[in-house]
Formats: sequence, C-alpha cells, structure tokens
Amino acid sequence: MTKKALFLMLPLIGMLSCGKGKNEEGATTAETTSATTTVTIKGSDTVLPLAQKESEEMMKTNKEVSVTVVGGGTGVGMTALLEGTTDIAMASRDLKTEEKLKFSEAKKEIEIVTIAFDALAVIVNPANKVGQLTREQIEKIYTGEIKNWKEVGGADEKIVAYSRESSSGTYEFFKEEVLDKKNYATDILSMPATGAIVQAVGQTKGAIGYVGLAYETKEVKPISVSYDQGKTFVTPSIASAKDKTYPIARPLFYMYDKANAAKVKAVVDYALSPEGQKVVSEIGYIPLN
Amino acid sequence: MKKENRLAKRKRRNQNIAFGLFQLISYSIVALLFIILAFIVVKGIGVISWEFISEMPKEGMTQGGIYPAIVGTLCLVFGSMLFAFPVGVLAAIYMNEYVKDGWPKRIIKQMTNNLAGVPSIVFGLFGMALFVNKLEFGDSLLAGSLTLGLLVLPVVIRTTEESLKAVDDTFRQASLGLGASKWQTTSKVVFPIAFPNIITGLILSIGRVSGETAPILFTVAAYFLPKLPTSIFDQAMALPYHLYVISTSGTNIEASRAMAYGTALILIIIVLISNLLANALRKYFGKKVKMN
Amino acid sequence: MILMLSSASTSITVILIVFFLFVEGIGVFSKKPIEEGFLLAVHPSNTIQKLEPTQIKDIFDKKITNWSALGGKNEPIVLFRTEDITEFYSEEELGENFEHFPAKIDEYITRTPGVIAFFSDKYKSKDFHGKELDVNKITVYKFLSGEEWFPTAQPVAQMGVKPLILGTLWVSFGAILIALPIGLAAAIYLSEIARKRTRNILKPLIELLAGIPSVVYGFFGLVVIVPLVQDVFNLPVGETGLAGSIVLAIMALPTIITISEDAMSNTPRAMKEASLALGASQWQTIYKVVVPYSASGITAGAILGIGRAIGETMAVLMVTGNAAVIPNTLLAPVRTIPATIAAELGEAASGGMHYKALFALGCILFLITFCINMLVELVTNRNSHKKH
Repeated sequence: MTKKALFLMLPLIGMLSCGKGKNEEGATTAETTSATTTVTIKGSDTVLPLAQKESEEMMKTNKEVSVTVVGGGTGVGMTALLEGTTDIAMASRDLKTEEKLKFSEAKKEIEIVTIAFDALAVIVNPANKVGQLTREQIEKIYTGEIKNWKEVGGADEKIVAYSRESSSGTYEFFKEEVLDKKNYATDILSMPATGAIVQAVGQTKGAIGYVGLAYETKEVKPISVSYDQGKTFVTPSIASAKDKTYPIARPLFYMYDKANAAKVKAVVDYALSPEGQKVVSEIGYIPLN
Repeated sequence: MKKENRLAKRKRRNQNIAFGLFQLISYSIVALLFIILAFIVVKGIGVISWEFISEMPKEGMTQGGIYPAIVGTLCLVFGSMLFAFPVGVLAAIYMNEYVKDGWPKRIIKQMTNNLAGVPSIVFGLFGMALFVNKLEFGDSLLAGSLTLGLLVLPVVIRTTEESLKAVDDTFRQASLGLGASKWQTTSKVVFPIAFPNIITGLILSIGRVSGETAPILFTVAAYFLPKLPTSIFDQAMALPYHLYVISTSGTNIEASRAMAYGTALILIIIVLISNLLANALRKYFGKKVKMN
Repeated sequence: MILMLSSASTSITVILIVFFLFVEGIGVFSKKPIEEGFLLAVHPSNTIQKLEPTQIKDIFDKKITNWSALGGKNEPIVLFRTEDITEFYSEEELGENFEHFPAKIDEYITRTPGVIAFFSDKYKSKDFHGKELDVNKITVYKFLSGEEWFPTAQPVAQMGVKPLILGTLWVSFGAILIALPIGLAAAIYLSEIARKRTRNILKPLIELLAGIPSVVYGFFGLVVIVPLVQDVFNLPVGETGLAGSIVLAIMALPTIITISEDAMSNTPRAMKEASLALGASQWQTIYKVVVPYSASGITAGAILGIGRAIGETMAVLMVTGNAAVIPNTLLAPVRTIPATIAAELGEAASGGMHYKALFALGCILFLITFCINMLVELVTNRNSHKKH
C-alpha cells in the first residue's frame, strides 16, 4: 500500500520541484513586473502587429503595465470584449448592428478609439501586365463574373482570386466597400492570414489578392484603383491614403468597456501619443494626422 | 530445358527489377525525411543562437528569441503528462492485470482505440466547449494541458499495456505462488520489469504533445505575452502555434520567415530528441514497444 | 477503485466528447439561418410567403432582380438594409435616438411595392404593415446537401456542408491513392527483402516521419510542395487538393508502413518456406502467400492512414487553398472540415449559429473517424478468427 501512495506521490513531487524551479525563474523577471496591471488585447489580425509592437515599446518605459496580445480576428475580439475576457478589443471594422445590440443588452458602454488608418491594396503578381482596375471590375472578379485576365486587358490567364477567411474584418470591409455587399464567389481561395496571401500572390502568376498596405512587399505588385468608372486611377500609398484620394482605406480601432477605462488608459494613451503614432508609421499603417 | 531456363531467367530478372524498385521506394521515403529535415536545418540553423532560445521576441516578432514559446510548450508537455501519465498507466495496469477477458474489456479497448482515432481538431473543439467555456477555465494552461492530456491518453495506455504484456507470466505466477497479493505482485514485480518500456512510451507521447497545434488553438495559445505564465490559469505561447502564426501573419514576412525556420528547427529538435531517446531506450532494454 | 476509474477514463472521455459535440452541434438545426433578432419583410401586396436561404442570398447578391423569377408578381426587387434608411430620411426625421426609426421603416416599406427589407426586430413598429417573410429552418438534410458555405453571409447564412465533406474525403482519398502503393512497396521491402541490419536502420527512420509536427509539414508544403505542384502541372494555382494529398500522403506513410510491415512479419515462416520449397520464386511467394495472408493487416493500415488524413488540420489548412467548392479534380483548391473549424471557430461568437454549425461539423468529422475505427476493428477481428 505504501508503494501505491509513493507512486501517486511521484507526480506531485515532480510538480512541486518544477513549480519551485519556475518560481525562481519568475523571480528574476518579477523585479520588473512587480505591482503591475495586466492588460489583455485581443482581436483583429490586421491590428495585431501594431498592437504588439506598441506594447513592446511601451513596456520598455512603462514598467507598471504588462500587456498580453492575442490574435484571432475582429470577431474574436468582440466576443471576448462582450464576455469580459479581454480588456481591449482590436478591430479593423466598426461595430456591426447586432454587435451593438448585444453590447447594449449586456449593459456595456463601449468606447471606440481610432488608433490608425489602414489602406487596403489590391495586389497582383509582378509578372501581370494589368496595372489598374475599376471598382466594378474588382467586384466582378470577386463575385466570379470575370474569370480571365484578358477581360480586363491582361494576358490570357485564368484569374485566381485570394481572400481572407470570413472571420477577418478585412473580409467584411472589402465586401462592404468594394463588392457592394455582394457575397464572394464560392471558388475564391481563402487564406488563414494576410501573410499567406502575399506569399500565394507572389508565387502564382494569375493571382489577385487584397492586403493591408503594410504587408506590401517586392514580391507583389499593387494595383491602381478607380472609384469613378475609370476616370481617375489612384495608386495605394501612405500619401494617397492620408489625403483621402485613395478610396479603400479604413480606420483601425481599439474598443473597450467604459467601466474599464482606468485600467486601459495607459495603453490607449500610448497608442495615441507621438511615440505610438511613430510606431504606426514604422509598421506601415497611416498615422492619425 | 532451355526454354525453362529462359523463363526462369526472365522471372529472376523481373523479380530483381521489382525488388530494386521496392528498395528504391523505401530509400526515397527515408530520403524524403532527410530532405524535410535538411530543408528546415539549412534555413533555420543561421537563426539559432543562445539569444534565440533565451530571449523574448522583439521588434514585432522579427528579432529576438522564442524563449516564452519554448517555456510554454514545456509547461504544456509537463501539464498534460501530469494528467495523462498516472491515469494512463493505472488504466493499463487495471486492464492488463485485473480485468478478465470479456465484453467490458473489449468495450474499453474499443473506446481507447476510438479515442486514439479522434482528430486533434475535435479535441480542440471539445476542450473549448468543456474546459474553456463550461468549466470556465478560460484560455489557460490548465485547459490546454487537459486537452492535450486526453489526446495522448490512448498512446500512454497502449504503450503501457504492451510493456505489461511483454512481462513473462512466470514472474506473476512465482510471486503469487510465494503468497504475495495481486497488488503486491503488480506493483513490486510486474511494474518494475515493465517500467523502462513504459518510460519509452512516455517519451514518445512527449514528442506527440509538443508538436500538436489544433488542440491548443482555442484552449491556451497566445500570440504575444510580455512575461512567462505564472499560474495554470494564464495563457501561454507555444512553439507549434508560434510557428503557425509567424509563418502566416506579421507585416514583415521576409524578416519573420527566418524566425519561422528557426522555430521549426527547435520544434523538430525537441520531437526528434524524444523519438531518438525512446528508440535508444527501446533498443537498450531490448524489448519492443509499439509506436502509434 | 482508482484503477477502475482510470481504466474507464477513455470511455468517459469518448462519451463526454460525443455529448459536448452533439449538444452544441444539434443546436444548429431547427434554427432559422437568419440572424437572431432580425427579420425580412416585403410589401403587404407581395404574394411570396416563404423563401429558401439560397434564394435570399441570390436576391441580395442582385442575381435575382425580379419577383417574377420567384413566382411572384412582375415587379423589380428593391433591396433595403437598415443602414440604407439615411438615403430616404434625414437624421432629424429619424429622431435623435432613432425613436422614429420604426415608423419610418414601416412607411418606406408600404410605399415601395418591390421592396425586401432586412432589419432588426427592434425597429418593427407595433402596427407594422409590411409582410414578414418566413425563412425555412435548417434541416439535417439541407445542412448535408447544401452546396454553399457562407456561414457569415447577410442577411441569411448559407450552411451547406456538402463541399466541405466532399473536400475532406477527396483529399484523403487522393492521399491514400498516393501513399498506399508506396507504403506497400516499402513494407514489402522492409519485411521480406531487406537484410535485418538495413531494416533495423530504415524502420525507425521511417517512423520518425510520424514524429514531425503537422505544422512543420504544412510549412514545408506551403513553401516547397505548393510551388512544385504549380510548376509541374502548369496550373494557375498551386494551393490544390493535390498539394494537400501529397502532404497527407507523406504523413500517412509511417502508419501504413508500420502496420503492414507488422502484419507481413507475422506470416508464419512455415508457409513461406513451403512456398519456396515448392519452387516458387521469392517474388511469387510474396504476392501469392505473404500479401494475401497479411491482407487484413494491410487493409487496417490503409484505413488507419485514411483516418489520420481525414482528421489532419494544420498542414491541410496551409496548403489546400480552402475554397469551399465541390471538388471535381484534384488540381483545384478544396476546403476540408478540420481546416474550416480551425479557421472559423475563433471568429464565431460562442453560442451563435455559426459556432453551433462548426460543432456540427465536428460531429460529422467524429462520426467519420468513428466509423473508420470500427471498420479497422472489423477487419482485424476477422483476421484473428482466421488465424485460430
């Protein structure tokens, strides 16, 4: 019987000794994190790199706040905010009507802070001749009416359209702004993340995709877009998005419960401060002013 | 006579071709393994340094290290084993030493097999529904460890059972014959003999746990944490999830790609070491424990 | 007692899994695919009573533009969403807190004969004059046979999982088609041809393949196999079912090889020697004696391999392109059930319809793998009877 007890004790002993080890480990970092408030930020993958870098920078100077950043998509952030499992929700779109309703049902007043702007660039493979498209053409490509590049002045090549997963705010925003609220065609390829779209468009000749301006690399070519049936085409750039001539731009938000304002103040203030806005440009988004 | 000779010759030739082909195929599979390994090693070796495994990520995941992800994975491995190992070993002992053949045993066996076949994403769903939402653990090490623990439970049970079966019945008869009780026999005779093989199974399951992504996706994984988890109710970063995220998101893909290869390499090293260790042990103790 | 409890742990887990999956999953049925708290309304004179979800989607995608296409009057369809109200009424008219909102919507609907309006219950005035449309509930049959998967579509979600189920089976089938011959050849080589020394080196190496984490396979597939498939077949896109099949085949190989090899090694020595003594060549012995004898073991290996492929998540998510279309070729993108769950569960509001639909998908996946396991059991059982 003692053997049995010992056998059961073994993992316990293991746990204790390991816990001790971990404590010591924690002690070295504890000096810097003593008496801190922990703030959780959750939501949009578009805001993710920005929030991550901002909190990293902030924590260098402000030792009193410790920030956890979790992705998952705008929808995840909203759900978490509603359920109170996050302090700040990152969003790349405004609240939907039903989300507003849910928050009001839960008696939560939500403060929405715009922390930066993001322009969506429509990108193609660098080998593609096509350099400009009208909004209507893009809509037809994504709803499946235009299937070949020669219909829009390119080579005889099948169009391969990439989209984000339906969980992303980018997906919704693109649908509302560019597709005139129509649903995507079923054969659109959806990628779990923006990085995957850039990768795919870079290695696929007939590809078209849409990504945040910050994600643009040499591997892909941005397309000039016209919102007035082809009279003027505007190239996506930080400058054109700033002076509002580039049409496909959207604000990025931090949202939080007003009852929780004191706790998140440091994080939100930092995001709006000159240093925070400097990070915005570094990451590749458009600063507020 | 001559004709027969020719026939035999042709037969022999065909056989040689077929055998050669089979050999080629077998070696290409092994070659494939080395290609995958070499691919990751060559691209990832440049990033590996002491800083890489001992520092926090910096500059938006493009610099610095993956220390918190390594710690997170180790915690998850430890946590899941803490649950799966005792339960699995006890279950196997009971099944192998106590229960007589019959329908209850068959059902339990079948259930264990079924559990082993459940896709990892289903474990993720289940973990989210039960641990995260129903029991309100939230996204936490506890929820993640329990989910992973359930995932490897069948592996632990099976390897333990195999090891117990490998113990010769004469030991049991001798011990019982000397007047030892059933429990004494099991704990003092059978278990010590089987122990090395059981440990092998344990190591194999560690390899399995450290590589799983789908079950931790919705139960524990975080993208960025400024500090190490301090309690079992904290979220944690984990290597497989980290690899998944940085290889698909982040604004500076080229810069984070190197980090992705490095992370993949560390992950593979952990898994390979546990596999090789298990193999070496298996060889050392001379008895075969089945994988899978 | 503790012993008994722990031995029952797996059974309890299986039952718990079944319970939780089904409790959440079953909730999707008997629900209307329209967002809770919202309604669709038409002009009172409209003769349409009920619409299928697909019809509603086509209306809001402007693919159906006249009521006559749905059996109604010859009247062009006018779409109305809540936020469109500002085009017809000024903010003052609606009131500061939208208190006149319900009345204005009512007014707008009654004066527009071709309208179909989608708005919240909250804005439905007490003496509403419009006609509310009934939306058909999601039935098991519709769920399984629906061909469109737009779980977040507005105003009505499209919950058809047929492309996902077929996509999953398609990719796994492709994987086994690739893996089975290769795996069998390797198993034969290892068990019958190779020298013991070679075998002892090769087998653990092949088993190592099973140890590589699936994310690593996905990563490898994304940067190596996807471009390769695209180049070799000269395709417009590399993220295809085939890329998924190849990655899954590599992942299923160790399972197939290990199990088939074990089965072949178990062939009684006497049988093999008898065959050789009768003048059969080694090759003949293999395919006339060893393979038939171990057939059930090989089948079990193949089925388990399929099972592994069906449930695989991360690798597939990264390489198959995830387009929810019914597959007709391996050279086009497909979307599998596990990939769908992994990609969408994070977004779905917990408890919502989408969330429940994903759990229902989990149930389907569980049932498929459950059947596969039972099949394996059946096959191996038959084998053991044969032996005795």
